[in-house]
Amino acid sequence: MFDLSTPLARAVFALMMGLIALFLFFPIYWLVISAFKGNAELYQIIPTLYPHKLSLGHFTNAFEQGHLLRNLRNSLIVSCSAAALNTLLALYAGYSFAKFRYAGRRGVMILLLSAQVFPFGLLLISIYPIITDLGLIDTRLGLILSYIVFALPVSTYMLYSYFSQVPSEIIEAARADGASELRIFHTIVMPVSIPAVVTVFLYGFMWSWNDLLYAMTLIVSEEKRTLGPGMLLSYLNEVNSDWGGAMAASIVASAPIVLAFAFLQRWFIQGVTAGSVK
Amino acid sequence: MSSISLKNVKKSFGAVDILQGIDLEIADGEFTVFVGPSGCGKSTLLRLICGLDEVSAGEIVIDGEIVNDVPPAKRGIAMVFQNYALYPHMSVAQNMGYSLRLAGTDKAEIEKRVGDAAAVLRLDKLLDRKPRQLSGGQRQRVAIGRAIVRKPQVFLFDEPLSNLDAALRVDMRVEIASLKERLGTTMIYVTHDQVEAMTLADKIVVMHAGRVEQVGSPLELYRRPANLFVAGFIGSPRMNVLRAEADERGTLRLENGTVLPVTAPAGARQVSVGIRAEHLSLSDDPGAFVLRGRARVVEHLGSDMFVHVSVDGASDPVIVRCPDEMELAIGSAVSVGFEAANAHLFAPDGQRIVSADARRSAA
Repeated sequence: MFDLSTPLARAVFALMMGLIALFLFFPIYWLVISAFKGNAELYQIIPTLYPHKLSLGHFTNAFEQGHLLRNLRNSLIVSCSAAALNTLLALYAGYSFAKFRYAGRRGVMILLLSAQVFPFGLLLISIYPIITDLGLIDTRLGLILSYIVFALPVSTYMLYSYFSQVPSEIIEAARADGASELRIFHTIVMPVSIPAVVTVFLYGFMWSWNDLLYAMTLIVSEEKRTLGPGMLLSYLNEVNSDWGGAMAASIVASAPIVLAFAFLQRWFIQGVTAGSVK
Repeated sequence: MSSISLKNVKKSFGAVDILQGIDLEIADGEFTVFVGPSGCGKSTLLRLICGLDEVSAGEIVIDGEIVNDVPPAKRGIAMVFQNYALYPHMSVAQNMGYSLRLAGTDKAEIEKRVGDAAAVLRLDKLLDRKPRQLSGGQRQRVAIGRAIVRKPQVFLFDEPLSNLDAALRVDMRVEIASLKERLGTTMIYVTHDQVEAMTLADKIVVMHAGRVEQVGSPLELYRRPANLFVAGFIGSPRMNVLRAEADERGTLRLENGTVLPVTAPAGARQVSVGIRAEHLSLSDDPGAFVLRGRARVVEHLGSDMFVHVSVDGASDPVIVRCPDEMELAIGSAVSVGFEAANAHLFAPDGQRIVSADARRSAA
């Protein structure tokens, strides 16, 4: 792809990569150092590039106030449920699109994917009255269902791509061996598709975990509030701008995602490449 | 064991007719090979017999019962796929025992049957391995083992050796031949490799463009091909074909007037004369035989050699098989001859016609 045979080319390449890394990681670096700075240092007019005096005050405040842990628990419940339900639905839909031929298959698939065309915020206008009519406003279930609306089309397409590459012969061999269609899916296709399942689960989880707009709109009561609105309303509201607290809470909020990626990284990377490489 | 009968079996995908009405009888215990070029419909026919696809018209009868609507697992058949189709997450033993587990067979019986099949196929030390830890030949043996444990009435093989290298293919061919002797089960084998067809089959079905061109024993097809397609497909190298014209007395001449040593039947005009490479004689004396030409390519095989000769008056070169002891320079003048008894004549529509010489000797 690139000719890196000369030292100059390698140096330029390394410089470019370094700049990209700096661009990507500087906000994260800033988040971390800000969380560990005391308020006096944080609000200096000329900011410091590293904390001159380490302070855990923002973290202890965040946990002592109690709402962070409650928000974290709510986010975990909503995100895990949305991701699980999204994965379950996408599994069956993706398999059906990939391995069965029936009238309207293409049309339904295009219709499903077309949901992706609408901006996230725009669909809230139509989702809000539906969730209200169903009596699901200010419920976790309402929030979970609305997240699935967005995650499901892409998740289905991801699994459709993966299942399309599962050789039809192993499905036919199982059919000849006497397995029912559901059994084939559960005992043959799903076990060989774990990387894709993990990828889709993480995708659904991140959608829900990172959301602010829907959680702000569809959840009203404080005890059901998830991390996004929780942090915004606690640290950065009309009367208060606690940047240090917000940074510390962000680190805590990012921990589950970072841990999930670290834990599932092997599967996730396999899953991403499995769909694109023959 | 089971007999199979196909009655006017058709298969279409949309407007495309893949099989155009197949009639075929396969006897109990017979090893039948479907052979033909890519796209001729042989694998489709196998899939129909297996039940993986539905017939568009016609009947498939196994042991006297019409099975058109019977699911694959209930047809008493087992299929070995071209790319093995092993379950990648299961061990060899689990792969082989999967169908028995589905059928609710008890554990001890599964272990016994898997063990027996593994012993036959020399897989007994590999039972705990996953397919990815096996070589191509071992994988194919597992695929065959998976079929054996079911004790099927009919075995279906879909080009089972095409993914193996040449040496392994010969080994596996021998293995399948010995399996056929040991089990005596009805077997249907699809291949485009005519060597596999010739060496394994009791009966060969030559297919072309969704039709059966000829059914017969390997030697029958080799010695008396029903048409030009079968003549060209069975035998390696391909049968040589000379385009000739007959006069009213049946004398066959090439374009340049060379008279061939075989006589066309009365009424024939445009005739294709087929002669196998081993039935042609070659001489470096240009006057020894009737066909004159030049040696273009010489292929040494050790025991034999194939000489490609461009013959004066013929559009295509002919290949002559002769002992590998002749000294022949490329481009040297040669002559080629054959006996009338070894010539196969075909009409312009490709169908076999009997030469006047053969009629006389038969009379």
